[in-house]
Amino acid sequence: MIEVAGLRVVLPPATAAIDGIDLVVSRGEFVAVLGRSGAGKTTFLRSLNRLVEPTAGTIRVAGRAVTGAGAAELREIRRQIGMVFQQFNLVRRASVLENVLAGRLGYVPAVPSVLGRFPAADREQALACLAQVGLAHFADRRADTLSGGEQQRVAIARALAQRPAVVLADEPTASLDPSLTSSIMDILKAINVEHGLTLVVSQHQLETALAYATRIVGFRQGRVTFDGPPSGVTPSVARMIYGDGS
Amino acid sequence: MRLARGVPWILDFLRRMMPPDLRVLPAALAGALKTVEIALLGTAVAALLALPLGFLSARNVAPGAVFYPARAVLNFLRSVDTLVYALIFVAAVGLGPFPGVLAVVAYTTTSLAKLYSEAVEGIDPGPVDAVTATGATRLQILRYAVIPQVLPLFLSYVLYRLESNIRAATVLGFVGAGGIGFYLQTYLRLIDYPAASTVLLVTVAMVMVVDAISSRLRDRLV
Repeated sequence: MIEVAGLRVVLPPATAAIDGIDLVVSRGEFVAVLGRSGAGKTTFLRSLNRLVEPTAGTIRVAGRAVTGAGAAELREIRRQIGMVFQQFNLVRRASVLENVLAGRLGYVPAVPSVLGRFPAADREQALACLAQVGLAHFADRRADTLSGGEQQRVAIARALAQRPAVVLADEPTASLDPSLTSSIMDILKAINVEHGLTLVVSQHQLETALAYATRIVGFRQGRVTFDGPPSGVTPSVARMIYGDGS
Repeated sequence: MRLARGVPWILDFLRRMMPPDLRVLPAALAGALKTVEIALLGTAVAALLALPLGFLSARNVAPGAVFYPARAVLNFLRSVDTLVYALIFVAAVGLGPFPGVLAVVAYTTTSLAKLYSEAVEGIDPGPVDAVTATGATRLQILRYAVIPQVLPLFLSYVLYRLESNIRAATVLGFVGAGGIGFYLQTYLRLIDYPAASTVLLVTVAMVMVVDAISSRLRDRLV
């Protein structure tokens, strides 16, 4: 589902955030990317849909080449890749439903959408996605009147509205109260299990990653230092990923 | 020192302005209305014209090839004040409110474009990332991630410019570009100070009313 080969991302002025990553993720996997802050987790996820431009290497998602795709093709590929952010990234002044409808933008006719009109079928889909995260009753509320946990659920609904094949989540629980971590991760797990969506989630909390993921990928200084099942993450592996004491 | 010596003259001037000559009130009110119209029309047209310019001169939206020339042109045009534009347009199209409107449009467009572009540059990039990631086009990203963030700011800038333009439009009459300034200048030249003071009082009242309405609207926006 995701094939990354020889990926390098150099961020200006000259930081190699990703320094040679090869990774293949199969359909239906729940991959947790672990690593210290600055290990390249965010840059890696953002390069998968080219929010960050890769410097070298190739990326394929759902069988299509992300790297080298032209503008129109890239938009089509992006529809297949839902993304959830640490800071939710909702439009605060817009309604919850409008935020979820943004997930349909890649599918709906361009001109009416710029005028704020969406086909009825797309509205229904957006509402269904909102119901899936348990927030259908908030459709007309302004996004910034919701709590952080609720906003992140709206953001997940927006990603689901894309009918994606893959969902990337960049530290989805890092700016939330720890007690809300499981509510967000449970929803992501449900998406993964019930809809067979492929998930790549970066996490800084080791316990959370081990509890939810089917596969752990450890990043360190822009390289993969560990790749295996959660059961393979021994204390020495954790030290290798996080670099404690070495 | 010169100011101190001038004080008796100023006092004398003020004394001769009293009492205001209310016979010119209808003319003053008509002039005030014309001034408000010039400012309203000019600001409204400029608010729209400035929209594309504002986005084109925002670093985070426009490509560099567009951004730098757009900024340069705006900075050049903005260095000329409304009154100077009025002089130019009076020379170009003749006396009356029309060159006044053109002058207000010319200056306000550039100053609003600058304010707009700064608002666009100050947005939270997060929603832009999120909407980009859905596979949206540039126009859709603008509509769904940028405009919702900047629209209240734009409106409050427009109202603020309207307040300034009412004051600027008062002076436009001095150079023959229509409105209440024409009456003020005429009565001062005729040394009809009571009439001039009526015009002045109407001007003050007009500015205060517009300021009050506009600032109430702005409060509601933020």
